[in-house]
Amino acid sequence: MELYIKGIGCISPQLTYDNSVFLPEIKKHSGNRMMCIEPDYAPYFEAGSLRRMSRVVKFSAGAALIALKDSGVTQLDAITTGTGYGLLENSEKFLKSMAESTGPVLSPTSFIQSTHNTVGATIALITGCNAHNNTFSHKGFSFESALIDTRLLAVEGATNVLVGAHDEISEKTFALMEKLHVFRNNEDAEIKAYEKGGNGVVAGEGAAFFILSATKGEGDYGILVDNAIFYNPESTIEVKELIEEFLERNKVGLENIDVVISGINGDAKSDILSHEINHLLFAHQTIVLFKHLCGEYMTASSFGFWLAAKMLIAQQIPESVILKNRHRRPGYILLYNVFQNDHSVMLLKAC
Amino acid sequence: MEVYIAGKGIISAIGLNVDETLQSLRAGKSGIGNQTNLSGRRDNHLPTGEIKLSNAELATMAGLSAEYSRTALLSMIAAKEAMADSGIHINGLRTGFISATTVGGMDKTEQFMTSYIRDGEFKNIEQVLYHDSGAATELVAEPLGIKHFVSTISTACSSSANSIMYAARLIKTGVLDVAIAGGADAMSLFTLSGFNALMILDENYCTPYDENRKGLNLGEGAGYVVLVSEKVAERLLKAPTVKLTGYANANDAFHQTASSPEGKGNYLAMQGALKMSGLETTAIDYINLHGTGTANNDLSEGMAIQRIFGEQVPKSSSTKAFTGHTLGACGGIEAIFSIMAIEQKMIFPNLRLKTPMKELSFAPVTELMEGVEVKNVLSNSFGFGGNCSSLIFSKVN
Repeated sequence: MELYIKGIGCISPQLTYDNSVFLPEIKKHSGNRMMCIEPDYAPYFEAGSLRRMSRVVKFSAGAALIALKDSGVTQLDAITTGTGYGLLENSEKFLKSMAESTGPVLSPTSFIQSTHNTVGATIALITGCNAHNNTFSHKGFSFESALIDTRLLAVEGATNVLVGAHDEISEKTFALMEKLHVFRNNEDAEIKAYEKGGNGVVAGEGAAFFILSATKGEGDYGILVDNAIFYNPESTIEVKELIEEFLERNKVGLENIDVVISGINGDAKSDILSHEINHLLFAHQTIVLFKHLCGEYMTASSFGFWLAAKMLIAQQIPESVILKNRHRRPGYILLYNVFQNDHSVMLLKAC
Repeated sequence: MEVYIAGKGIISAIGLNVDETLQSLRAGKSGIGNQTNLSGRRDNHLPTGEIKLSNAELATMAGLSAEYSRTALLSMIAAKEAMADSGIHINGLRTGFISATTVGGMDKTEQFMTSYIRDGEFKNIEQVLYHDSGAATELVAEPLGIKHFVSTISTACSSSANSIMYAARLIKTGVLDVAIAGGADAMSLFTLSGFNALMILDENYCTPYDENRKGLNLGEGAGYVVLVSEKVAERLLKAPTVKLTGYANANDAFHQTASSPEGKGNYLAMQGALKMSGLETTAIDYINLHGTGTANNDLSEGMAIQRIFGEQVPKSSSTKAFTGHTLGACGGIEAIFSIMAIEQKMIFPNLRLKTPMKELSFAPVTELMEGVEVKNVLSNSFGFGGNCSSLIFSKVN
């Protein structure tokens, strides 16, 4: 079942929270991480509740409220979210108090806000939404599962669903992953550097939320046609066949795909398969990258989805995201993302 | 389109498999006791529903490395039992593994982090490698031979009820033929300290639905069911005797950790599940209560049950007095208890209940009932963040 994108909200390392502009200038982040550029939250939350929220809750619930306002939808039939790591900062805070406190009982505040469903629950509280509320936490399938959940909900009769994903960079977990040599410096943030690749990725974070609807309306961004997940494929050929089957089941020929949004993350080793797929299947399509803008994280594909929605409504591809073949206009967009063993595809099209 | 139960697997403080679990339930043998596996914090004196095996022993049972999180080991043991019980060979069937957890690899992470925070040293850093919720799922999916479709849900204490629901919906819509669904959570100091900080842990053995209840005891374990489509069910050697006929997910939208006094989310979840099943309230023979033993949960749940069932509340019990509250695993574990109630014609007792709650017109069953016809069971799972889910299991006619 096709779903219409009615509203978007994205808070990321780029200036994306303002829906009236489309990547006006690229923010270059030095070092090995890219952190969110956040808006003034005063219009979105009450001062009292804002003080109690951790950073990820603010930028995630903030993105959700931006999407909701953008859509004009007032009644949500479901809220479904994805997060790879959940609420890291609050988990670390509570672990710290466990390690350091000598008192009989610890303060429960950071524990309460450490569960993975905190953001979905916060949005339900703010919007007073008693409907279906799900949180998926599965590496590179977190946002993807929330999208599948949304498509099932639409088949089951839901009209408007808020779907999104979030992950945050937190101090201690970042230090650990740095020690494990996951990251490299972002000295050369140009897209060409991502094509060549290096050793490691640049860490990223962000939240992207969408209102997906079963009903068509004026001003829809675009259409989500389908999405699929492929855990642990054995070879490039298997991935190639899975993508071909996916397109076939949607009755879309390879030649109909105009733009491929590729999850290439600049780590030469983990990008091998993505490059091979681009070479085997998408020699003539415009290849677009996005992780040079938002960094790598488990739910980075939600930033890719945001990029697709923006390109579809603008009918334009920003120069800063094109890797090759700049001549195509976005009619059909295929997003292919890889996170470790988690491979996923999303098919979108213009209204 | 019906969704059938083709297999089940369970591990908790009252048994390492389905048979041991049934023996304990029948004997009224609780698994709550002093804990021995965790060390390092003062919350250690609190009783828990702990599985009395070390990680090394669990790893042998699971056939996995003892370096993996305890959550992954528990998950593997129960999921493997469920698959073996179903007798299904997944070749040619679109099979998914839908797991659930709240702590993931926190049991390992907290060991590393405690020394890292104190000394700033990166000692045994490999312990954090499987921290995230999805890691345990993938460590189990691979040896199970699952390709392509895996996912993990983390909605606090309703996590594995939601994974079973998600699996059923994937089967109904034709995305999957077979799904192994449920969840796993290991004991951790993180959750023990957290629930203690919230002051909702009972220092003695918990007494769900008692007027003088003092809180919950934490537990650990895993429970998985194998769900199959009608088409697959028809081809099974062992014809399924139970099906999943109703489910609903609702949100209380009241408070991050507390339930609304009238149990609005609880009401919506139970009502939604009943509506889907098409059953009258009088057709429910047994309610497996969420029944954590906290003042707040048992009252909200009880009030919502009264609102739905009126004067005719079915037989009910909280089995958490046996297992402790297994958090993200409880929906899976209690799904198994619900199925066993139907298969074994039994209603399990709500242990240690002495004084029924004065606000409620009904009280859970306190003695084992055998030889009773149990056709339809309602199973509740409610969690932090207002996440409320209910499942209904029914006997196949």
